[in-house]
Amino acid sequence: MGTIIKAEGLKKSFDGFEAVKGIDMEVEAGEIFGFLGPNGAGKTTSIRMLTTMVRPTSGKIIINGFSLDKDLTEAKASIGVCQQHISLDKDITVRQNIKHHAILHKMPAKEIGPRMGELSELMGLGPHMDKKVTELSGGWKRKTSIVCSIMHRPKILFLDEPTAGLDTKSRHMLWDMIRELNRSGTTIFLTTHYIEEAEDLCGRVAILNQGTIVALGSPKELCDSIGYITVEYSGDDGKKSMRQFPDRQSGKEFMAKLKEDTAMSLRKTTLEDVFLIATGEEYSEGGV
Amino acid sequence: MPRILDESYRVAWGDLCYFKENAPTILISCLIGPLLYLVAFGYGIGSGMESGIDGYIRFIIPGVISMATLSATFSFISSKILIQKLFYASFDELMLCPIRPSSVVLGKTLVGILRGICSCAIILAIGVLISPGIKVTAFLFLLVFISSLTFSLLGILAGLLAKKHNSLTVFSSLVIVPMTFFCGTIFDVSNVPAILGYAIYALPLTHPTEAIRAVMLDLPIPWLSVAAICVYCILFFVLDYCIIKRRSF
Repeated sequence: MGTIIKAEGLKKSFDGFEAVKGIDMEVEAGEIFGFLGPNGAGKTTSIRMLTTMVRPTSGKIIINGFSLDKDLTEAKASIGVCQQHISLDKDITVRQNIKHHAILHKMPAKEIGPRMGELSELMGLGPHMDKKVTELSGGWKRKTSIVCSIMHRPKILFLDEPTAGLDTKSRHMLWDMIRELNRSGTTIFLTTHYIEEAEDLCGRVAILNQGTIVALGSPKELCDSIGYITVEYSGDDGKKSMRQFPDRQSGKEFMAKLKEDTAMSLRKTTLEDVFLIATGEEYSEGGV
Repeated sequence: MPRILDESYRVAWGDLCYFKENAPTILISCLIGPLLYLVAFGYGIGSGMESGIDGYIRFIIPGVISMATLSATFSFISSKILIQKLFYASFDELMLCPIRPSSVVLGKTLVGILRGICSCAIILAIGVLISPGIKVTAFLFLLVFISSLTFSLLGILAGLLAKKHNSLTVFSSLVIVPMTFFCGTIFDVSNVPAILGYAIYALPLTHPTEAIRAVMLDLPIPWLSVAAICVYCILFFVLDYCIIKRRSF
């Protein structure tokens, strides 16, 4: 289907601090692409550059075939963004916020009403449509933000921590909606703190650490790259450690060598293991 | 409709919804100040003037109208921009839309212009009742429009530059409040010492005041002042444009 998001040598510095140190990546049209990283890894800065909100210090971005340097308006028309922070006008109602978003994205007037009805029903926003945004709980504000971001049927949808603040039921509903949107051809670029969310939804993920991409591939490829099987065990000092192996047999052989009283378990490697190893967080002695 | 007007209306749509629903409160709040000046200065100080109350009221009405183009626009626009930028983050949403920065600037002035024109029209109606001799022409409305636009653009500039609400309050106390008193709204600038006069003529409110007064009192139009308002208008627009352009790509 071709590349729909392309970043080349993307860098961003703030007052001498290099928040993003050079990102090269391509996102294929029609995929759900996950962007993971610990706090301060440069995720938000990267997404703000990709969504035209922050100008990179250097590098090139192409969105839906449009270079942000030359065809900014066309690139903006191709994207929908649900920001991490609720970005609604709290002086007006939910309905007015959604309609304003559609007007700003130049949707034909006759399409706005039906589309708004369709999405408000999908998200269960019906009873809240004429309330002021200030009267809504965090979850309903989030849903309103999401409706705004998909109102104009963007080709690419950037979701920055979309399930933050949502209850389990709403989160699952949103996951279904993301899959449905993706099935209808929308490319999804998702950043999340919930690794199981990325593992469940994303065709490919990039793991960002200290401003650079340290791992990129499908969740399965990434898990296989460090070892299909993980053995978790407690070391002599009681500290929890893990080690990956290419197959179950190698894992069992390793467990047999550990002291009898060691707490240990064998399981399939998860994306969370990849994340911890790639970012050097928590487990420091892992590795194949 | 030219693209820039179409896009500006799209930007202003949300603010216009708010204005429509809260018009009485908004208008009353921006009329109180100018009307108080009219009563307090016109009838209070005017009674002690050589020209008498009528003469001074005739003099002060254009000043109060000019003052309204500032008070009805600047603080409303600057605090709205600041709130939308810092607390609602809805200003970021604008930057994500396929709308050009020039349209964002103009769109954000529309509610200010509407407030300015509505306030001035009400004060003008009261002014005509109090002092029937004053002239009301289409050029007067053009001046009110340009002045409201200029101070709305200044409001956008202040809102964009302010990092916190306190900065706006300080700017208002140091620049806006003195401007409402010193820019010829309640006294004739030609009576002040020359050095102070230069400073007063450097302030943007002096020029609409002079021009509006000339139209309403049927005096020769001070074209230099009309040109000065236009220069300030263009200057504020360019500054707003550059700041918004610099915020994103």
